[in-house]
Amino acid sequence: MTQSDPASASPAPPQPAPVLEPSVPPPARRNWQTRGRIFGLPISIIAIWAALFVAASAVPALPVPGMSGMITLNAIMTAISGIILGPAAGIANMIGGIIGMIIFPYGSFFGPLSFLTVTLGGFISGLAFANRWKLAALLEVALILAWFVNPRAWQPWMWIVPLPYTLVTLLAIVVPPLRNWMRRQVSHGTGVGLWVSVALLACIGHSVEYLTANVMTNYMFNLTWQYWVPTWPYWVGVDTVTIALSTIVGVGVLVGLRRARLTQAADIYPA
Amino acid sequence: MLGAAFITEKSFLHRLDARTKLAAMLVILVLVMIFSHPLYLFVLFAVVLLAWQWARLPFDFLKAFARYFSGIAVIIFAIQVFFYPGTTPWLRISGPVAFIGFSGVLTLEGVLFGLAMVLRLVVIMAVAPLLIMTTPLSELMLALVKIKVPYRFAFLLTTAMSLLPAIQNRASLIQQAQLCRGVGDFESGSLLVRLRASASLLVPLILGAFRDSQILDVAISSRAFGASNQRSYLLDSQLHRPDAVLLAGSVFVLLAGILLRVLNLGIVS
Repeated sequence: MTQSDPASASPAPPQPAPVLEPSVPPPARRNWQTRGRIFGLPISIIAIWAALFVAASAVPALPVPGMSGMITLNAIMTAISGIILGPAAGIANMIGGIIGMIIFPYGSFFGPLSFLTVTLGGFISGLAFANRWKLAALLEVALILAWFVNPRAWQPWMWIVPLPYTLVTLLAIVVPPLRNWMRRQVSHGTGVGLWVSVALLACIGHSVEYLTANVMTNYMFNLTWQYWVPTWPYWVGVDTVTIALSTIVGVGVLVGLRRARLTQAADIYPA
Repeated sequence: MLGAAFITEKSFLHRLDARTKLAAMLVILVLVMIFSHPLYLFVLFAVVLLAWQWARLPFDFLKAFARYFSGIAVIIFAIQVFFYPGTTPWLRISGPVAFIGFSGVLTLEGVLFGLAMVLRLVVIMAVAPLLIMTTPLSELMLALVKIKVPYRFAFLLTTAMSLLPAIQNRASLIQQAQLCRGVGDFESGSLLVRLRASASLLVPLILGAFRDSQILDVAISSRAFGASNQRSYLLDSQLHRPDAVLLAGSVFVLLAGILLRVLNLGIVS
């Protein structure tokens, strides 16, 4: 790099901008530091979330009429996991789901495959939050197709079963202004915008979990419309209560994490 | 509270390698999904019961489990019995009830299919505890690593398991603290009270745990987690002759099951 002579009377011709050589080589794609992270999130947070998930599996929240089972607090953990952990929520929920199924098998109607529902719920809502909307939409559409591929889904009124919250989920994933607004609100927002955005993201996590569970139930136990349609209002009520409660918990946790300056998905995937 | 944990015994099943038990469990799961005839599913159920007896595991656990899932089992059975579109009349109980899609006749196929679905539920439920109760967690983790599951996954499983008691203690403390503040009764309050109490438990629990995760992160980083790809293990597991025999048997049974299914056997027509 040359410098102009200050003693010279004539101004120096303009020089091209200097090209700086990077003093530090770019980090390797895989090194020991990246191995301590999954989807950019420290492995310690994922392990802690998995343990929290298992602890929440031990706290029954809502009874399920007609069955001895309970909906436990892990339904709330699944709904908000994507907002707090991003796509890593899929891994954290999977670990928590596997351990929870072993230790507290409430509602593990799918045996060793029970973890799939919470895994997909966290993963898809995390993908939506991380703005990887194409993969999120692809998985959501695949789940909807899986429901409709089963011949029992063509029985009377069966189309209504996955409809209400799945529609909201699809819109929240594929409509860019809505998605970006949600992400901005969760990253920096306060007030009503934050509450609505957390509710929408919780809706994604919860509806994906329930759609996966419904698809698995249909394939494994072949339940017909005579079960699904009459119980539909009840399940919509349960979904609504779960999403409302998840929103309250989610906003509380997000605000707390911001104030304490603790790592969360919004730091890794800023809007 | 119903939970499955490792039970120390000196049975044949306990001595088997965890990989063998995992493979056998997967074969049972595949077979239970491809067959839908109660006779075939009953054979699988009998195999699981025999294994349970062989491993000297307590049958009380199975009884408690059965009570727990009896509600959903009854619903599944009733739906199939009343609404399965069978062709062989078994019992006429009323005239057709069109608006619920009931023909008024219970069919033999409906009863068989209902039984099959209940047996499917029971086998799916009973097979996982069989693995968990005969395999120490450390061996299960080692088996996962040996079958090329990424080490990070096994590490997460063990770390989450070891963190669980501390998290549960914290949850219990928060519950008591919130009760002292009159926030709500977690056990016997009304639904609304319990839901409110749930929120008051989860928020401080998650925030406290995230604060602790910083310490764990420092501990993991200071030990250079992931610095070496070559790991050594305190325990080692080898496949012995009984494992090889059971693995070969599992593969044979799986292939035979698929062949039967291809020949259209093992289903309610």
